[in-house]
Amino acid sequence: MSHPTINVRCFRYDPETDPAPRFQDYRVPLVEGEMSVQDCLNHIREQLDPGLAYCMNCRLGFCQRCILKVNGKVVLACETAVEGDIVVEPVNASEVIRDLWCEST
Amino acid sequence: MAEALYDRDITCDVLVVGSEGSGGQAAVNAARAGLDVLIASKGKMSRCGASQMAGADFNLDGRSAIALGLPGDDRDSPQRFCEDLVREGFHLGNQRMVEKYVEYAAKNTADLLEWGMPVYRFEQVHAEEMARGLITSGVKWVRILRRKVREMGIRVLEDTMVVDLLSGEGRACGAVALDLKSGEIVLIRARAVVLCTGGWQQAYHFNSAAADLTGDGQAMAFRAGAEMIGMEMVQYIPATMLWPPMARKSILPYIMMETEAGPFVQLLNSEGERFMQRYDPTTMEQSTKEIVAIAGELEVEEGRGSPHGGVYFALKHLTPEGIDFVWGKFKGFLDENRDKRSEFRKLLPRLLEMAKTEDLEVGNAVHFMVGGIRVNERTETGIPGLYAAGECSGGLWGSVRVASATTQVGAQGRIAGEACPAYINGVEHIEPDKDQLEAIRERIRAPLRRTEGVPPIEFLERMHGVTDEYLRVIREGEGLESAYDELSWMRRDEAARLYVSTSKTKRLNFEWQLCLELENMLLCLEMSTLASLRREESRGGFYRRDFPHTDNDRWCVNTVISNRDGEPSLRLEDPVVTSIPLPAGRMTFEEAVASGTASLKRGEVER
Ligand SMILES: Cc1cc2nc3c(=O)[nH]c(=O)nc-3n(C[C@H](O)[C@H](O)[C@H](O)COP(=O)(O)OP(=O)(O)OC[C@H]3O[C@@H](n4cnc5c(N)ncnc54)[C@H](O)[C@@H]3O)c2cc1C
Ligand code: FES
Repeated sequence: MSHPTINVRCFRYDPETDPAPRFQDYRVPLVEGEMSVQDCLNHIREQLDPGLAYCMNCRLGFCQRCILKVNGKVVLACETAVEGDIVVEPVNASEVIRDLWCEST
Repeated sequence: MAEALYDRDITCDVLVVGSEGSGGQAAVNAARAGLDVLIASKGKMSRCGASQMAGADFNLDGRSAIALGLPGDDRDSPQRFCEDLVREGFHLGNQRMVEKYVEYAAKNTADLLEWGMPVYRFEQVHAEEMARGLITSGVKWVRILRRKVREMGIRVLEDTMVVDLLSGEGRACGAVALDLKSGEIVLIRARAVVLCTGGWQQAYHFNSAAADLTGDGQAMAFRAGAEMIGMEMVQYIPATMLWPPMARKSILPYIMMETEAGPFVQLLNSEGERFMQRYDPTTMEQSTKEIVAIAGELEVEEGRGSPHGGVYFALKHLTPEGIDFVWGKFKGFLDENRDKRSEFRKLLPRLLEMAKTEDLEVGNAVHFMVGGIRVNERTETGIPGLYAAGECSGGLWGSVRVASATTQVGAQGRIAGEACPAYINGVEHIEPDKDQLEAIRERIRAPLRRTEGVPPIEFLERMHGVTDEYLRVIREGEGLESAYDELSWMRRDEAARLYVSTSKTKRLNFEWQLCLELENMLLCLEMSTLASLRREESRGGFYRRDFPHTDNDRWCVNTVISNRDGEPSLRLEDPVVTSIPLPAGRMTFEEAVASGTASLKRGEVER
């Protein structure tokens, strides 16, 4: 059975090597049943690009370390369901350590 | 110029590895005695590990509860609590450790109450016959510990993974850590080290715990020469969410089964049958965790499982109003205690909404590690200056955890913190030797330096393939042998080829961290498999299909694993007995469960 695929546009930046932040697009298949933003990021890291940096710990809303900006809104990635294309950014782009992980993460 | 052995160094009296339930208590208690304490945590304090996710219930005997102003039962006593713990753990528990658990359960609770931990209720938990459970929230617990640690000015290194321990003159003298954000190698000099690193749940594909629990403490202790005990004893939680992905790993269905909603829950197989009636017709879904887990797994084996390899948690037979009523009860509890836990507030109502129209897929998740680093009642590992407290340690529970782990970790954390001052008095810092530092640095750097080999994600999938296939609730000799061959080959031959396959940056490099964690998870799995193979019986939470009896005549013994030239070597050891004699005889697993289980389930409630 084929599933709809969405576009996940991720903020990428390594302040030590990159002249400026950029966005990278990944195609992520949605499975049947609810998927979270974190499930999408996990899919990217496990299947497409293990180099993507983001933070997660508990997967269930306890640690609050997966805080991110999704389509411009600050949310917890593990708690936020995905329905269509998304743009994922760090909460504070001015203090990024790498990609989606910033000092206050 | 020769490469530096480390990038930064820090000196302290006591290094506590792990910042949560056990680590926080250990640090506070060592600092209370005036020691200079440093905590190193792979995550951020109060935002990592299993502690934040706990229910949480703290146990203490009725009399001690009354002394603390809680509504305890005066028929209870510390001795009675000890007896229950030993019997329900099927007699493998170290009785001196159990006695200390009970003694320090009260001390730990007193600390937490003094520091402001809220009490939601005091009630019966873990099927105990008397109220011994103080109900609170795990999130609040760890935040209170964090506040205390901050108040005392204890230094905390966060997002810092301790990789290996250092020793000199036969003593622990510090550790080497990797600062995950900067990629720097940090040398930590310490006069004593307390490991509080939790379990190795991530070695299993389907688990209920946090991402940082990868058996680092157990593995580094083993490499340093410490022993492990009861590594075959792994606790599974039946009725953990399997699907949809967003709810995966949540133990909410199980929690519901433990509440007043429990008797309304039905577990169904793919044919819609309440399969528990074939396994335990009297108590059905309310049977013990172990029996429910085994039954579910048998259904899956026989082709009556759900699409993602579990069974169904059903409430559909209730009316929608009935389901709303169940949610109302939870919500009332949360409102009353101003508890904001998102799993309860957000996920639970969604799942209950789903349950009105469809059955939820649930399965057996690896939840708690009963075995671990072998310690005595003073949390000493046998290596001078090295202590282990909390879930990373073993020996307390025997073959199944029958009371609160949150109590265990707080109690043992406090014991370890209290043990440090006396030990440290007169112990000087030892400068770690260069060869040791160099070997550790090489181990850390190698996966980053390699340009080809096995990518860690692929390796992880293979390892999970082994656990999914052979290291399940139901175990048997042939499968365990296959698992052992595969795991030991992976550790001896393949792990040396792990490499960072994409970005070679040192900062927040997930692949790099995973390479280091994989070696630890593999070692834990291998030791667990070795011990499982050796135990030719079934006991408590441990079940062998090819040896389904509980055999007290031959197997009322613990498996102990020591490090012989770097390889795990297993021996058997009698449990430590103080006052409760070991049982004799052989019985079926079901008979044993019935005799061991808490009195309530045995129908022996005293009036
Ligand atoms: C979902 C869930 C619910 C639970 N509910 C209950 C309950 O209701 N009642 C109960 O009694 N028990 C419960 N438990 C079990 C209980 O929460 C744990 O056993 C207990 O909290 C473990 O505490 P700990 O301090 O030993 O380890 P953890 O809380 O797991 O902390 C481990 C710490 O070690 C750190 N660490 C690990 N490796 C390294 C390293 N290499 N370097 C530096 N730091 C490291 C981690 O980052 C973390 O800080 C539950 C467990 C889970 C997963
Ligand atoms: S991963 Fe912990 S809150 Fe999202």
